[in-house]
Amino acid sequence: MARAMALLVLLLVACSSLGSAAAGGSFNVIRADRKVDLLTQVVRVSTAWKVENTGVELATEVQLALSSAQVERLAFLEIVVKGKGKNAPGVFVTETDVSQQGSVTLYTFPLPKALKQGEVVSFESYVALVHQMKPFPEEISQSDVQLVTYDDSAYILSPYPVKVQTTTFQLPSSRLESFTKVAPTKVMDTEVRYGPYESVEALKSKPVTLHFENNQPFAVAEELVREVEISHWGNVYITEYYKLANKGARLKGSFSRFEYQARPGASGVSAFRHLLARLPVNAHSVYYRDDIGNISTSHLRSDFRKTELELEPRYPLFGGWKVAFTLGYSVPLQDLVFKAPDGSRYLNISFGSPFSHVVVDKLVLKVILPEGSSDMSVSVPFAAEQLQERRYSYLDTVGRKVAVVVKENSILEHQFKFIQVYYKFKSLGMLVEPLMLVMAFFAFFASCIAYTHFDFTLSKSTSAYLAQIQRDEVMDVLQRLQKVLSIRGAAEERLDASLKEVTRTGDIAACKAARKAADAVWKGTSKDLKMLTDSLQSSVKSVPGKTPSVKPSAIVTKVESLLQKEKEMVEKLQQKQMVIVDAYERKLSSKEIDSRVAPVQEKLESLKQEVSSLISSLDD
Amino acid sequence: MALGSGEVGIPIYSPVPESLYPLLAVLLLTIGLLLTAFFFIYEVTSTKISRSLVQEFATGGAASVFLGFGTLFLLLWTGVYV
Repeated sequence: MARAMALLVLLLVACSSLGSAAAGGSFNVIRADRKVDLLTQVVRVSTAWKVENTGVELATEVQLALSSAQVERLAFLEIVVKGKGKNAPGVFVTETDVSQQGSVTLYTFPLPKALKQGEVVSFESYVALVHQMKPFPEEISQSDVQLVTYDDSAYILSPYPVKVQTTTFQLPSSRLESFTKVAPTKVMDTEVRYGPYESVEALKSKPVTLHFENNQPFAVAEELVREVEISHWGNVYITEYYKLANKGARLKGSFSRFEYQARPGASGVSAFRHLLARLPVNAHSVYYRDDIGNISTSHLRSDFRKTELELEPRYPLFGGWKVAFTLGYSVPLQDLVFKAPDGSRYLNISFGSPFSHVVVDKLVLKVILPEGSSDMSVSVPFAAEQLQERRYSYLDTVGRKVAVVVKENSILEHQFKFIQVYYKFKSLGMLVEPLMLVMAFFAFFASCIAYTHFDFTLSKSTSAYLAQIQRDEVMDVLQRLQKVLSIRGAAEERLDASLKEVTRTGDIAACKAARKAADAVWKGTSKDLKMLTDSLQSSVKSVPGKTPSVKPSAIVTKVESLLQKEKEMVEKLQQKQMVIVDAYERKLSSKEIDSRVAPVQEKLESLKQEVSSLISSLDD
Repeated sequence: MALGSGEVGIPIYSPVPESLYPLLAVLLLTIGLLLTAFFFIYEVTSTKISRSLVQEFATGGAASVFLGFGTLFLLLWTGVYV
């Protein structure tokens, strides 16, 4: 946006100071050779200039001219200034100023080295134009070939007078219907040469028209929306929405599939089926679909150097036919996003469409930055419109910022132009997404807790409600009782184990120590048991007006008998232990030990059974 | 802020290596589900009097943390790069 404003201001300033711009610093073109490539639908003009500085001052800039009709359809403009010496590398220069003069637009380029008076500089200019070839006739049948007309000028449009110039048009086939003759003109197989012309004034043009056969596919994407979504967890999603059309001569009459398939060389020569795209090397998860669904006529070939995708739309595209589809793929984060020296991050991505021979009338590139990004700025190597948007995607709260760059007339050369989107992002911002999930789950748990804590009964004085409360209290006491009993049971088991140890090792001291510990546990827990039985008594009072399923007194008696049995068991265990210790101290034989232990042991076993059955019956 | 030609920034990687996503997803979800089980068992077996709010919130909180992060890594593992 700011760039467009700056260009506008520059235009106004340039218009006001027309005088100095007209002569362009008084150069003289010694020689200009132009080659116009008409092989595909894109007109590529490369001109070799040899320019001498005839003015007195130092010349720092040179200008190129384009007619206003051409400017509308300009896709690419670049200059390569040749260095001194045979193998010196050329310097790529892009325009710094655009100004209007009458019906001609002048592009100003800075020279890498200023020219003194009389010095000569050689450079090559590359201009690419789209939609210059008009199909004529505009409608053809399926078996016709496609003829196009091309309007240009025999003289090179130059802001300086040209001493010697030639122009060569390269045609895709040797069939040339007609051409304008401007002496000297020569036709050689697939080339038409105009010139050499001598001493042509500045900005002079001589219109010529060429009418020739061009069956190359005129694949034009009327609109292409490229969405690049960055995720810092390791992936960049690229989704491209195409509206493709064949802008060649329109198909007249009906389409015969039979004829198309039976005679492929003679039928539908201007129609195209295949589109070749070059994707980033590590592209994966490629999908190709349209409104109907997935399109399976595609081939993906990838090796360690490149990834190529060949697409076939659902039907061949004849003149005037359109198709819309979506192409998407993923690229690993480390291939596209980098950290700049000043700490900010940037995305470095090629601007053009990955398809080789598709001209894009309007290319919209949307870069969707992760949530929490700030300070967004875009660096584009050519003039383009810039906008900002907001997008809501996975796990978003405030939305993601989108940088939008819009360019008209994009061609293959733009694949090699890179655009950078700078932004700032704190690494901690990545935690927002998991925290949102955690909050969602926690809300669920909190609602469970709330549900169990809240009391939803309508009336607090009915007998059923009071019975329920009583039941809860009793359950609580029984639970605590079970806990205490299990502690005591653990102590019993420990003592049992130590007794077994004694029979093996004969270590009496350890046995005595275990007995002491068990005694302590039993003494401590017996107090708890007393407390529990008391609370049980108090809570099990009969409820007015309702007979509980199990009589409260029944529970109390059960518990009392359980405790009784348990006490007996403990006593018996203690007895057993004393017997064994005694026997060892007196060093009796093992047979006698067993005989003394046996009756005690039997009683112990039966008691154990009863206790466990009572505990399980308490559960209901 | 523009880079000079020839300057290449340092590529940015994910904070957690991508090869760990499956392991982390399974591990965190298992622990999260275990804690969820503990939570619900406690809810069901405790009586009104003996319930402790602190324990409930502690178990629920820990379960939600593990489940949340586990779900995040599950999403990343299946290719939904959030």
